[in-house]
Amino acid sequence: MREYILKRLLQVIPTVLMITLVVFAMMQAIPGDPIVALLGDAYDEEDAIRLRREYGLDKPIVEQYAIWLGKLLRGDWGESYLSGRDVLDDVVLRLPITVELIILAMAVALIIALPAGIIAALRQNTWADYTAMTSALVGISIPDFFLGILLLLVFSFALQGLLPSSGWVYLPGTCPTVVCNESVWGNLQHVIMPAIALGVGRAAILTRLLRASMLEVIRMEYITTARAKGLVENLIIIKHALKNALIPTVTIMGLQVGFLIGGAIVVETLFAIPGLGTYGINAIITRDYQQVQGFILLVALCFVLVNFLVDLTYSFLDPRIRYGTQR
Amino acid sequence: MPHEVMSKEAVADLRLPAAQPREHSSWRWGKSESLLMQTLQRLMRSKTAIFGLAIVSLLLVVSIFADALAPYSPTHNTPDETFQQPNRQHLLGTDQFGRDMLSRIIHGSRISLAVGLSSVLLAIFVGVPLGIVSGFYGGKVDTLVMRAMDLILAFPVFLLAIILMVMFTPTAGIIGTMKVVSAIAIVRIPIFARLVRGSVLSIKEKEYIEACRAVGQHDVKILFWHILPNCLAPIIVTATLGIATAIIVEASLSFLGLGTQPPTPSWGWDLKANVPWIQEHPWLALGPGVAIFITVLGFNLFGDGLRDALDPRLK
Repeated sequence: MREYILKRLLQVIPTVLMITLVVFAMMQAIPGDPIVALLGDAYDEEDAIRLRREYGLDKPIVEQYAIWLGKLLRGDWGESYLSGRDVLDDVVLRLPITVELIILAMAVALIIALPAGIIAALRQNTWADYTAMTSALVGISIPDFFLGILLLLVFSFALQGLLPSSGWVYLPGTCPTVVCNESVWGNLQHVIMPAIALGVGRAAILTRLLRASMLEVIRMEYITTARAKGLVENLIIIKHALKNALIPTVTIMGLQVGFLIGGAIVVETLFAIPGLGTYGINAIITRDYQQVQGFILLVALCFVLVNFLVDLTYSFLDPRIRYGTQR
Repeated sequence: MPHEVMSKEAVADLRLPAAQPREHSSWRWGKSESLLMQTLQRLMRSKTAIFGLAIVSLLLVVSIFADALAPYSPTHNTPDETFQQPNRQHLLGTDQFGRDMLSRIIHGSRISLAVGLSSVLLAIFVGVPLGIVSGFYGGKVDTLVMRAMDLILAFPVFLLAIILMVMFTPTAGIIGTMKVVSAIAIVRIPIFARLVRGSVLSIKEKEYIEACRAVGQHDVKILFWHILPNCLAPIIVTATLGIATAIIVEASLSFLGLGTQPPTPSWGWDLKANVPWIQEHPWLALGPGVAIFITVLGFNLFGDGLRDALDPRLK
């Protein structure tokens, strides 16, 4: 296991380096001069030259990348052109909010998908199966942001503000400023609708996958043997069938994090949540290159980390999986 | 057992089995109609697939004849008729500029379907040859292509689409739509490349491919005459389901203001523009949202049915 972890880590490093190169190259390819955008109507050639020298934008591209990468590794992710704030501080402040949203969305997905997928498989071709599969198809087909709008219409407007339509309340101890709202209940009220909007689509995909996996597993000979031995059906399903059916599901769950990250950007924008998604979109709109770089880099690195953890989890769940290991 | 020597007459009487390339080129020759007919019959038996096909066909008709079907111009502002509730003149009401919502939804179908279909076709046009060449030749070509695909896949799909749209700079009109198509196609290319590569890796080891090489067939002919037809089924299924995903991505990009730009009607953009008003005028959000949902549902239903019809074992 240790060898496998080390091997995967070694594979992650070049991926991370390539991501930094791609992010840097992409930002250079964006049309428009950030100094022109920064100075706006007060543009002056002397100021522009001074600022370009200050931000290192007058150096060759390769040197700019090397300087930028070195700074990244030292924890200096630059400063926003517009606000002057440290980019790393900003993204670190916002990251927990997005992570909380994604984790809750995945929890919503699992709470829906696990029972639905299992019941659909065990009651194949019955009304329970058809209901689960129809619901899953509807869940896959409805965009995250439209589901969010429907939830807003019902819970925020039709039910007279039962749940807040926008904004955020921090969990106790996580407030980034001196004064802000902190409350567990308040946080739950603000996060539940975005989490459901984000999680339903994933639940639909996981339900279909889990149903297919369970159908395959419950037809295996060892399940028949377990039944022949007289084991209780619930025990067979939970202890033997579900465990094996979850292996491909875990892999897909990891891949779904990428879609959750993308969906979080849209949902945060809809619900005005001060997470990484709104930070990134605002950075893109204002063409603040340093913020955009920090946003994309952090999200891509998180994605690589999640894939790495999914690989480890996969190999843990299925001891037969050892890349390159002889059986 | 004693080794038997065959006489010359016996050797001459040997009937070699029909060359497999002829059988597996089944998509084009007369014998293959049975395979195509079987697929169509399975497809016709699926009610959900037929329902999905009906939805898709209806949307295609609506988008093609949008100019005739829409009661008003989608960009015509009527300041005197802002925020009208659904009524006889405006079946889905009007927005903050007095524009007829039904007309905008009808014209918006053009953008959604055009982007969905074009982006997938472009992804197939680039991804399939890459996958075929990568899988067939292997070695450095395979490594290079797959590392490039891994690089694209290292980013979350929607994030990469956002990055690309920022680089391309969203604009209105046909050029703007082409930029959206390109961005979505780029993020879909690795899916088709890897899918086809996987198929090619298993097909190229078959005996009939070896026989083709033995008789001196050119690589290009082997690739496109014998290997590609056997990869078509997963490509078709992935493409159909991919159209649904592309439509959602386009709507999401437009919702963020990075996709189709006004005045071009777009479902995603209309949702974004109408969100501030939905508390007082909820119908403004329902029209475009339901349109997206029905379109995506149609393609998903049809894609699922197609997958089951092309390979019943997958059901």
